[in-house]
Amino acid sequence: MNKHVLSRFYQASALLPLLVSSALFAAPAEVGVVTTNPTKVQLVPCYAKDLPDRLLCGTVQQPLNIKAVKDAENQTISIHFAIIPAIKPLYPTEAVLAFAGGPGQSAFDAAAVFAQALRYARENRDILLVDQRGTGKSGLLQCDGMDLVSQFAFDESTADIVALAKTDTLACKEKLQVDLNHYTTVAAASDFEAVRQALGYQKLHLYGGSYGTRMAQEYMRQYPAAVVTATLDGVVPFNQSLGALGAASDASVAALYAYCEASETCHQQFPRARQQLQQLIQQLDAAPVSTRVRHPRTFALIDLTLTRAKLQQAIRFALYSNNSRALLPYTIEQALAGDYSPLVGLMLSQDIVQQLSVGVNFAVVCAEDVPFWTAESRAEFAKSYLGRTWMQSAEASCAVWQTPAVDVAYTQPLQTATPVLLLSGGLDPVTPPAWAELAMSQMPNARHLVAPHATHIVASQSCAPKLISQFINQQSAANLDASCLNQELRKPFFTNANGVASLTAEQE
Amino acid sequence: MIRLFNTLFRKELLDASRDKRSVMAGLYYALGTPILMCLLFSVLLKQLSSTDELQITIENAEAAPALVHYLASKEINHGEGDKVKAIRLQLSTDFQQSMQQGRPAVVIIDADRSNDRLQSAIRRLERALSQYSNEVAHLRLLARGIDPNLLQAIDVQMHDQATPDSRGGMFLGVATLSIILTLFYAAMNLAIDTSAGERERNSLTLLLSQPLSSLQLVLAKVVAISCFSMAGLLLILVVSKFAYGMVPWQQLGFSISLNLDFMLFAIVVGLPLALMSASLQVMVSFMAKSFKEAQTYVTLVLFVPLVLSMVTTYNIADDYLQWLPIAAQQQAMIAFLKGAVIPVPQLMVSSVITLLIFGVCSYASSRLLKSEKVVFSL
Repeated sequence: MNKHVLSRFYQASALLPLLVSSALFAAPAEVGVVTTNPTKVQLVPCYAKDLPDRLLCGTVQQPLNIKAVKDAENQTISIHFAIIPAIKPLYPTEAVLAFAGGPGQSAFDAAAVFAQALRYARENRDILLVDQRGTGKSGLLQCDGMDLVSQFAFDESTADIVALAKTDTLACKEKLQVDLNHYTTVAAASDFEAVRQALGYQKLHLYGGSYGTRMAQEYMRQYPAAVVTATLDGVVPFNQSLGALGAASDASVAALYAYCEASETCHQQFPRARQQLQQLIQQLDAAPVSTRVRHPRTFALIDLTLTRAKLQQAIRFALYSNNSRALLPYTIEQALAGDYSPLVGLMLSQDIVQQLSVGVNFAVVCAEDVPFWTAESRAEFAKSYLGRTWMQSAEASCAVWQTPAVDVAYTQPLQTATPVLLLSGGLDPVTPPAWAELAMSQMPNARHLVAPHATHIVASQSCAPKLISQFINQQSAANLDASCLNQELRKPFFTNANGVASLTAEQE
Repeated sequence: MIRLFNTLFRKELLDASRDKRSVMAGLYYALGTPILMCLLFSVLLKQLSSTDELQITIENAEAAPALVHYLASKEINHGEGDKVKAIRLQLSTDFQQSMQQGRPAVVIIDADRSNDRLQSAIRRLERALSQYSNEVAHLRLLARGIDPNLLQAIDVQMHDQATPDSRGGMFLGVATLSIILTLFYAAMNLAIDTSAGERERNSLTLLLSQPLSSLQLVLAKVVAISCFSMAGLLLILVVSKFAYGMVPWQQLGFSISLNLDFMLFAIVVGLPLALMSASLQVMVSFMAKSFKEAQTYVTLVLFVPLVLSMVTTYNIADDYLQWLPIAAQQQAMIAFLKGAVIPVPQLMVSSVITLLIFGVCSYASSRLLKSEKVVFSL
């Protein structure tokens, strides 16, 4: 039995579970196929998960090693893409290119989420989804994970996380047998360009979510002429290490508890909510709890070794959605009282990590992040529990992969005059609004909009889809009316297992 | 023979074009209908898409602030005044209590379901409520450590074969019908004028006294009228192209675009129909005793294409009706617009039937003209 998944929880930066919110609000967008562009590639009708619309799929062959001088000895990789056709193709030579997150998520798998977020933009333009090399149908680099039963039983407190990360990574490296150097953000950009040229689009509008914003920025850096506008949602700047996600997560927890204290019902029900969380963390730090719980799907009684690591991961992923955030104070109180069922429920949201490409994740972390850490940044990351554990296991794993660093110029903020719309959620546990400010320092035509109550990926929770479409049509963010972003998106806190005993004051 | 026919045909054309009022009456239809349709569709679409804010009456809102809030996020609000739809959402007084105890909390939607103007709004409200219900249920299961996906025993994935063009079935039916009807409306006045009218002006007897067969006479009239019908068809196609281009179809997730290929197709398919329409109306006009009577009969004849079209558009009757004239032509046009496979056998058979009717009607008219009762409307 291997233990990849566990170490991956620390390892994977898992910035973008675009899929989180879609599970609860599955409202299928209504649309279909119109156009075929001048193609050099063969397009076949295809379907994506949770999206009834007929898409057009195809592949282009790309050299695996983009720096290779001689093509002859170069392996090729087949890059898979899908077109969500525009409803009324007023601009057949333009498309909206959507970049998925992760790093390591497949854009095609997230087609339903993109179709929803870009539903207004799609009225007049095709949406183009390209599986980044190493993800989805473009040669997925996946290692087996641990099943839920063993995950629950595993005791992280006694295991040496660094050693574990090392053995895991070694096994994964053995299995994949790839040079991760070919899977970095820098290396992947040319694939998107190849797809654009093959399909004959003259201009692109970019939409990136989470890590996808970094991929979008890299594409703009390498192919500035092809881009008309770029929308960056949950921005990951070049000049920001992923290690800071611990601090972002902590800030998001703090905002949640501040809201609980301000809310009458929550405060009445959980007057000591903040202390309860601290108390539980301390207890688990001192000694993990061994107990038996019901398997969330099979209902069988299984062992759970509740450690601080598990608690922190569960909280971290619960923060991604306003729905699961509403469960947090209740969950903590129950856990303190010895009922771990709600916590088991929250632990389920970690499932999203399973869908990520391990290879691409390591390629980004090991070649584009770890090499540029300074003593200063290390000290900064170490301040939070998540940052600390992530840093340790990232170093251990990257030592195994031995991926050379990308050029140091990569860590410079993107310089561009292209109109850019940056979107941030005020409660985002991974890419806080401050990151967007870092990203736009060299962008004279950028505008940053913050939805104060949104979490990660603003476009899937607010009126942003309309704004994005307006931005694309106007090719300027200056005249957007962003007032609708202030809409309340937080949910009333669960005060028992059935929901809320909300007072009128709750909503104010 | 041919020369004779040509002379007659030119005479009929000249005659018809002199009667500007009749010609224009037919063309007004071709000009006006697409524009009217465009307006109608735009209004309809606005009602159907209803992406605007929906204002309803929410009673006892304080019982469930979270629900009210959720509805607001879906742009469904409590409102006062004119814009409020006649839908009342009543929240039970023990809503909160039921929620807490895990019993289904009752909400009542009080509205008239038979009211067409409310239907989409009611559906929208129901959808939003069931989404809210779903959301709370999911969280309740999570709070018990149970995977909410257990609620979804099967995962139904829809693979929709439709292309956006193929979605607007109802709209396509109306649009194609309006195009086919041109062939009848544009011919109507001329057909009456050239038959019953000519008889009342006493010029028919003059014509008949020429060394011509009555069939030649009738054919010349029919072909001349068909020319005007085809002109009407061409006009409505061109006007439709621009008018339908302005309807915001994309709100419904499809588009209707009349391109040049479709226009050519419609002209080819429409030609036999034009001949049939002209011959039929000429025959009916001859059968009438007076100009006024002819107008009444011809108006009645116009119901025939309407009925045939309804039958296929709304799937009222069996499949064999789809082999009939007009129905088959309309289906072929719809298929062409949808980008689907054109039902060639049906189209062929119905075109042949259409031409047969043209032949029969023309022959019948020529026979009628041999009767003194008809010629002098005795």
